[in-house]
Amino acid sequence: MAWTSQQKALSRTPQPGTGAPVPSQGLEWLWKHLQDVRQPQILDCGPVSPATLQVLLNRRAKVYVADLITPALEADPRFWDRSKKTPLFLTADFLRQLPEIPPASVTAVLSWNLLDLLPAESLPNVLGLFYSLLAPLGVFYCILREPFLAAGIERRWWLESPASPRSQVDAERTFPHPPITNREIEKLLPGASVKIFLTRSGRREVLAMRPAELRI
Amino acid sequence: MWRDKEKKAPTQKATSKAWEDLPGLIDPAPAPEEPRPITPVTPTYFTEGSEKPMSETILKTANSSSSGQRQTLLGSSMVLKGELTGDEDLTIEGQFDGTINLKDYCVTIGQHGQVKADINARQVSVGGKLSGKVNARDKIEIRKTGNVVGDLVAMGVAIEEGAYFKGSIEILREEESSTSSSSAATHSRAAVSTWSA
Repeated sequence: MAWTSQQKALSRTPQPGTGAPVPSQGLEWLWKHLQDVRQPQILDCGPVSPATLQVLLNRRAKVYVADLITPALEADPRFWDRSKKTPLFLTADFLRQLPEIPPASVTAVLSWNLLDLLPAESLPNVLGLFYSLLAPLGVFYCILREPFLAAGIERRWWLESPASPRSQVDAERTFPHPPITNREIEKLLPGASVKIFLTRSGRREVLAMRPAELRI
Repeated sequence: MWRDKEKKAPTQKATSKAWEDLPGLIDPAPAPEEPRPITPVTPTYFTEGSEKPMSETILKTANSSSSGQRQTLLGSSMVLKGELTGDEDLTIEGQFDGTINLKDYCVTIGQHGQVKADINARQVSVGGKLSGKVNARDKIEIRKTGNVVGDLVAMGVAIEEGAYFKGSIEILREEESSTSSSSAATHSRAAVSTWSA
C-alpha cells in the first residue's frame, strides 16, 4: 500500500531520544548573512548547552543565554494564572526571564522551537520583544512544526557545528497548542523579511530579518 | 565468682565517669590529634560596618599541598558582606554579598556557596550559586551543580552539562586583553581556527 505524503513525513520524524545532526539550510543562510559581522551578539533561548556555546564563542560572538524553552515545555506554574476558568499565560512575567539586553543590539535570536510551546495569544508580545532586540539586519531564527505533526516535541536543541543542529525529542508528547502557519508568522513580524526552509523532519526553519532602516 | 565480676564492672564504670566529670582533667587515653591544615588568617579582612578584623573562625587560610600557594576558605556556616581583596586563592562554601577583587588569584564557589558579587579574578570556578558580573583574566568554569546568573567576561568559559546559566558571555581576545598570557592567546587563536575550519 502506497504511503501518503503525510505518512512519509511522519516516518522521517525524529525518534525518541537524540536526533542525528542534520545540516540546516536555515542556519547556513544565517551564518552566511553574518559572515562580515566581526562580533555578532546572539541570544540563545534554549537550555544552556556547552556545545552550542563552543560553536558561538568560536564565532567570536557575545552570547546571551536565557532558557525560555524549559519553563514553556513544563508549563511552569510561575507563568500561568490558573485562578480563573481559562488559564491565563503571564507573558510579561515569562519574558522577564530574559537577561538585560539593550534594544536593537542583537544580531541573531535562536529561539528554536519556543513558539510551538507558547499559547497563541502570547505570540505578539513575545515576537514583539524579540524583534525590538534585533539590530538592523538582525535575524530571528525559529523552528516550527508542520501542521500535520501532532506529537514529537523537542526538549532541547543544540549546535554540533554552526549549521548542524541536533535535538532531543520526546516522540510521544503531543504539542500543547495549535500549529503556527507561515501566514501567521509573517503577520506577527510586520516589516520583517521572512524566509522559510522546509526540512525533512516535519519542521520549518523560519528566519525573519529586521530591515536596515529602523522603524521604531 | 560470677557475682564478683558483676560487682566489679559498675565500679570501673563509675570511676571512668568520675574522670570525665572532673574539670581540668585530661582524658586518660586521648585520641591522637589530626594535623590541621587550616591555620588562622592574618587579619586583613573586615566585616561590613565593623572595624574589627574578622574572626579567625570566619576566614581561614591553608597551605595547598600541591602548589604550596595560600588559600582562604569561607566556611559553610559563614555569612559575609562587603569588599574582599587579597593576594591568595579563595574558596567560598558560605554566603557572600559584595565585591571580590583577587586579580591574580582563583575564586572557587563550592557546591554550598551562595554569592551575590561582582568578581574580578584570574580564574573563577562555580559549583554553587552566583549572581553578579564576573571578569576573569583566564577562565571561568561553571560546574554541573553551578547556578549562575550574570555577565561573564574571560579568556575562556567552560560550562558543564547540567549547569544553569542565565546572562551573557563574552570572550576576551588577545588584542582586547593587554595582560593576556601567551597560553591564553594560543587558546584564543585555536578557537578561531576551529570556526574557520
